[in-house]
Amino acid sequence: MGVRLLVLAVLAVALMVVDARFDLLKPARKQASLVLMDAYWITDLPGRLWEGVASQFGSRTELVAENEKLKTENLLLQGRMQKLAALTEQNVRLRELLNSSALVNEKVEVAELIGMDPNPFTHRIIINKGERDGVVLGQPVLDARGLMGQVVELMPYTSRVLLLTDTTHSIPVQVNRNGLRAIASGTGNPERLELRHVADTADIKEGDLLVSSGLGQRFPAGYPVATVKEVIHDSGQPFAIVRAVPTAALNRSRYLLLVFSDSRTAEERANDAAQAQEQLDAHGGGPMLPASVPKPLIMPATPSTATSSAPAAEATAPAVAPAKPAASKPPAAAPAAAKPPAASKPPAKPPATTGGRE
Amino acid sequence: MVGAKKSANGWMIWLTFFVGILLSVSPLPIFMEILRPLWLALLVTFWALYMPHTVGMVTAFCLGLAEDVLQGDLLGQNALILTLITFLVLSLQQRLRMFPMWQQCLVILVIFGLAQLAQLWLSALTGNRQPTLALVLPALVSALLWPWVSFALRGMCRRYRIY
Repeated sequence: MGVRLLVLAVLAVALMVVDARFDLLKPARKQASLVLMDAYWITDLPGRLWEGVASQFGSRTELVAENEKLKTENLLLQGRMQKLAALTEQNVRLRELLNSSALVNEKVEVAELIGMDPNPFTHRIIINKGERDGVVLGQPVLDARGLMGQVVELMPYTSRVLLLTDTTHSIPVQVNRNGLRAIASGTGNPERLELRHVADTADIKEGDLLVSSGLGQRFPAGYPVATVKEVIHDSGQPFAIVRAVPTAALNRSRYLLLVFSDSRTAEERANDAAQAQEQLDAHGGGPMLPASVPKPLIMPATPSTATSSAPAAEATAPAVAPAKPAASKPPAAAPAAAKPPAASKPPAKPPATTGGRE
Repeated sequence: MVGAKKSANGWMIWLTFFVGILLSVSPLPIFMEILRPLWLALLVTFWALYMPHTVGMVTAFCLGLAEDVLQGDLLGQNALILTLITFLVLSLQQRLRMFPMWQQCLVILVIFGLAQLAQLWLSALTGNRQPTLALVLPALVSALLWPWVSFALRGMCRRYRIY
């Protein structure tokens, strides 16, 4: 018996070392996960069945209420999309002033959460998209309100996502108000991020929105990450203690977005941007808007809507920009009040703004 | 004759392991996550106690590997832990079967507690430092669950004649 224990223990240790240092075991792991990951799917089944039954037998009033809620949410999201377009525009312009390449263009895909990591000390989730769906290692994951984390393990039909609040995770961020850069590290608490090494005199205060800065080359720039909850200046400490709350509902979101950033090199991107600029100049719209993203709209899955709504996005950009400081400052919940009027405009807007411009 | 019966119902053991795997990944509220019992360890302990010739360290090792894949740990981490648990249980097997239930619980608390400490050590090696001694809590919960698991599985054995 002792011999067997020894053999198995040595085997286990060898496996651990090989798995930690080399990629040798990754294929075997993927094969095993093909079968085993169904366990998450099965444990998720009752919840999904219940959802199905509830939607079958939901009363009319409930459905109406839900519909209402979804409509509001939709408005909110559309509003945020406008803001994103404006920010993208602005960013591209600034980048051109700096003579650097144009901004990346991202495509997103919806994934569904199917399980949580059973280990209570790590913050990882399992999603139902994997290698076969084109997911890649290190891919950023969002929910409707902000960044959630990144893909750390790929399996054929599922993948594991490390959340921002895991103790081993850090993300480069930027204060939206003034561009101050910092690193936000996870604390192991799902409602808490901490900014590391922020100088005591740095201009950062409660309520500031932190957006991803894109400096780590991992996360796309400009997505909301967290709002600052408290800033503690302790003269005994070398740095200010800054605590922030993630804007994404890390432990509540069920539907997530996988971000596919484009794989073009910086040079190609610059060329594309230049071409787009030339085209714009040729059309005569140049002087008004100095720059444009290569493929302006990001969210829509269908190319036809993307092309048709692109001018609308450009047109609304200047209109939204002045309102931005006010709208971007409060945390994710606050724009709810401010947004609907702005967001409900688009149907009526394009003719009005284009008319104004011409 | 006995052999024929065993082969007829041996799959029940694997069924319990399957259920154990499901239980070990089933979603729980966050505050209960830290109290999640070590289901696979409990099952392996039971079967190692009552059928030491069918379920042993190799089975435990394989189950541990499965758990590693499920949890995304290093391959071999949980395998090592489960093998250790099984080894301790097997070496105490003759005595453990004679003990009254509360004493069995105590022994299991100690074994699982040791295993969790080993787990802490292993995950510290891989950079996942887990803060407190709170991770001994699952061992405690498992020990408290042991009588029920034990009665239920013994009832199942009697009913389906798994010897």
